Amino acid sequence: MLPLPKEHRQVSPYFTFYLIHSMQKGVSILGFERYIMKDAGYDSWISIIISGLSINLLLWISYSILNKGKNDIVAIHANLFGKWIGGVLSLYFIVYFLLMVTTSLRTYIEVIQIWMFSNVHTWYLAIIFLLLAYSFTVGGFRVITGICFFSVIIGIILVFLVWFPLKEAEDFTNILPILGHATFKDLLVASKTMSLGYLGFEVLFMYYPFIKQPERSQKWAHFGVLYSIFLYLLTAVVAFSYYSEEQLARTIWSTLTLWKIVDLPFVERFEYAGISIWLFIVISDICLGLWAASRGLKQLFSIKQKQWLVIIILITFIATIQFTDRKEVDLLNMFTNEIGFYTIYVYIPILYILQTIIYKVRKKRYGN
Amino acid sequence: MKKWFDRKIKGNQKSSSDEETVSFQGLIKKCRESKDFITFQQGDNFPFIISYFKTLVNPDFVHREVLDPISKYPINTLDELKNLLPVESIVITKDVKQIQDKLLTGFILIQEKKDPSMCALVPAVAIEKRQISIPETEFSVVGPKEAFVENLDINLNMVRKRIPIPDLHIKEIIVGKLSKTRVSVMYIHGIANEENIKTVIQRIRDIEFDQLIDASFITQMMTDNQHSPFPQLIDTERPDRVASVLSEGKIAIFVDGSPQVLTGPTTLPEFFSAFEDYFLTWHLASAFRIIRLGAVMFSVLSTPLYVAILTYHYEMIPKDLLSPLIASRSGIPFPPILEAIILEVTIELLREAGARLPTKVGQTIGIVGGIVIGTAAVEAGLTSNVLLIIVALAALASFTTPVYQMSNSIRLIRFPFILSAQILGMLGVMVCLGFFFSHLLKLTSLGRPYIAPIYPLRIMDLKDSLFRLPLDRQGNRPMQLRTGDPNRFNSKRAELKRKAKVDIED
Repeated sequence: MLPLPKEHRQVSPYFTFYLIHSMQKGVSILGFERYIMKDAGYDSWISIIISGLSINLLLWISYSILNKGKNDIVAIHANLFGKWIGGVLSLYFIVYFLLMVTTSLRTYIEVIQIWMFSNVHTWYLAIIFLLLAYSFTVGGFRVITGICFFSVIIGIILVFLVWFPLKEAEDFTNILPILGHATFKDLLVASKTMSLGYLGFEVLFMYYPFIKQPERSQKWAHFGVLYSIFLYLLTAVVAFSYYSEEQLARTIWSTLTLWKIVDLPFVERFEYAGISIWLFIVISDICLGLWAASRGLKQLFSIKQKQWLVIIILITFIATIQFTDRKEVDLLNMFTNEIGFYTIYVYIPILYILQTIIYKVRKKRYGN
Repeated sequence: MKKWFDRKIKGNQKSSSDEETVSFQGLIKKCRESKDFITFQQGDNFPFIISYFKTLVNPDFVHREVLDPISKYPINTLDELKNLLPVESIVITKDVKQIQDKLLTGFILIQEKKDPSMCALVPAVAIEKRQISIPETEFSVVGPKEAFVENLDINLNMVRKRIPIPDLHIKEIIVGKLSKTRVSVMYIHGIANEENIKTVIQRIRDIEFDQLIDASFITQMMTDNQHSPFPQLIDTERPDRVASVLSEGKIAIFVDGSPQVLTGPTTLPEFFSAFEDYFLTWHLASAFRIIRLGAVMFSVLSTPLYVAILTYHYEMIPKDLLSPLIASRSGIPFPPILEAIILEVTIELLREAGARLPTKVGQTIGIVGGIVIGTAAVEAGLTSNVLLIIVALAALASFTTPVYQMSNSIRLIRFPFILSAQILGMLGVMVCLGFFFSHLLKLTSLGRPYIAPIYPLRIMDLKDSLFRLPLDRQGNRPMQLRTGDPNRFNSKRAELKRKAKVDIED
């Protein structure tokens, strides 16, 4: 059994709300409308809810696994499948976390290159952001929880910006009639696309032992997902009533484009400020991912977490600069989406079933 | 290489820190080297030898209280002497180290002629002290007008008379190889957290230094992170402020010779609360605190944003604002970054010159600098007047911070922001802010998180941080401090009083 973290490293249960939500929000909220629109038209807002509710179910399953295992995923894997198979499975999770970090980082850099600085090199921005992420991550889990907390607070301010497109929006009846645009199958396809927006909650598998009285944190985790659903829904409905279907199909970063019409007496072209402030939301993602990966590696191999952190930051850096243009970044997003989809919708339920069976068998064999 | 270097330093330390053991004769011989050391015996029949440092003792006291009784009554031994003299804390000892310490802090040394190794030490220290004056850096219009002075005992007295309870404990530690400075740690037993007290005392004991001049030396050497630009202990010159934070469960550190008292553990919002806030009604106090916080943000971010927007994102400026800006910037030969740095450095020069000169000359410097140089620079077309307004306002805003050390930090951290604004525009400002966030999140004050009540979020503690609620709502001590007794007063009774509803005509 791997040792649990000490009490002064842990955080209160209600911080799970911020941890879950900030990891989910990320970059995808800046331009998800176009993709679900492609799949299910104006009815795709229903997919946001379907997808979100299914995530709540998966979250419940995850908590069942963790409450039984009482430790992080590395320990649970080792306990269930032994050192070698368990280790390989844990390594898969670590690679998956790094993939998520790379996707967030590269997509955000892409946004900056398109909207703010078209001449800036990817490596230049990657170095700056990873240095920033390093300075947060070496502070440990409490510091990362802090930046997640601040990122959610900053996010709330940006939510109020939907007021401006709503003021300008012409047609609120776009989404009517409900279910008049897509078949049920279309909705499911859109839900699958939408699941990218909710990826990230599975980092819970790493930070679960860092929460004080973790069983009590479950309700906060569910609130976190519900808040994500609310945000996605709000953004989508505003975008749907502002854009026509053809416009939306041509707008890659639809939420960002909505910020363009923010009209304040002292500032125009709000998206410059918005994208800059979005840094805090992206950096909280990156930090949590890097932390989870380095923590997992520390549990697997006996090297200090700080050294692992440096190693994986180098790996992330090399991975990030491989993607050079819009198409490749899009491909990276699609790939992460696929991997993530199968990880959460297939692997987590299987793990749940296997854990239940193995525990039952052990109970039978060894008595109580 | 580094190891070798470390070893060498360690070796040096050993040789220098060895306590030399001096014999009693050696000590007296050393003291005789100084002209102000006096040894005498009155006549051959006089049974004692008396020695003291003339410059340390009060001569009136020596004549009146020591020499007079000795010559009047026929006594021969030190024990008789101890019973005779109307002075408390007379010590009779053979310990040379103790004799040395006492002799050099204003005690009179009295030996028997028959047995010179036995000594009586009589306290007769002369204290030169300054009058208690009004606080200068933390001046308030209403409220008490006392400020600390350089004398430790007077300072302790000013706080003790405000909290007349036996639970107010004072621990004394001597720090400094040469200066032997008395450092007192004051706290209220049962309220202050035991762990905090231990941390403070341990850290003060661990200080290795020769000459401790001022309380700020202690701050620099015992804080959690010496390399942080932010102060981690609040220094104050107001006894009322010290008394009030002690009753919150904090710890105060007094240093002999310093008119500043350190208090901790502290949090970032506390640096923006002036003590005068507690003398005003809560609406005013809250409004002023929010204004101060806004002033800090403005002070740090305004010039960097000017640089960022004019260098990279001039599309962000609204149409109506653009024309006055362009009018003021046209014909200026420098890029915004250079313009901003020149002006910021000018302001720093003015401040520095003003601080080093006597008050009256300082005012003249302010007028010459502010009005003459500013107007001339704009008229010569070297800077835009918009930037001049921004920089002047930012400097003004940084002076609203009530704690002097913090307002210095705020002025300094503006420069990395300006440079990063030049590198990546708005994004650079945010990256720089991110680095400061990461630093602040990691920072602790005596082991307690620095930006608490905000993170970790303690909603109950917000009542007296970013704003200040009415006094009768301040029933709980800050959770952050983990006090022994969380209730300041019977808050239930206060609540009952508040809730007793009175009808219109009752």
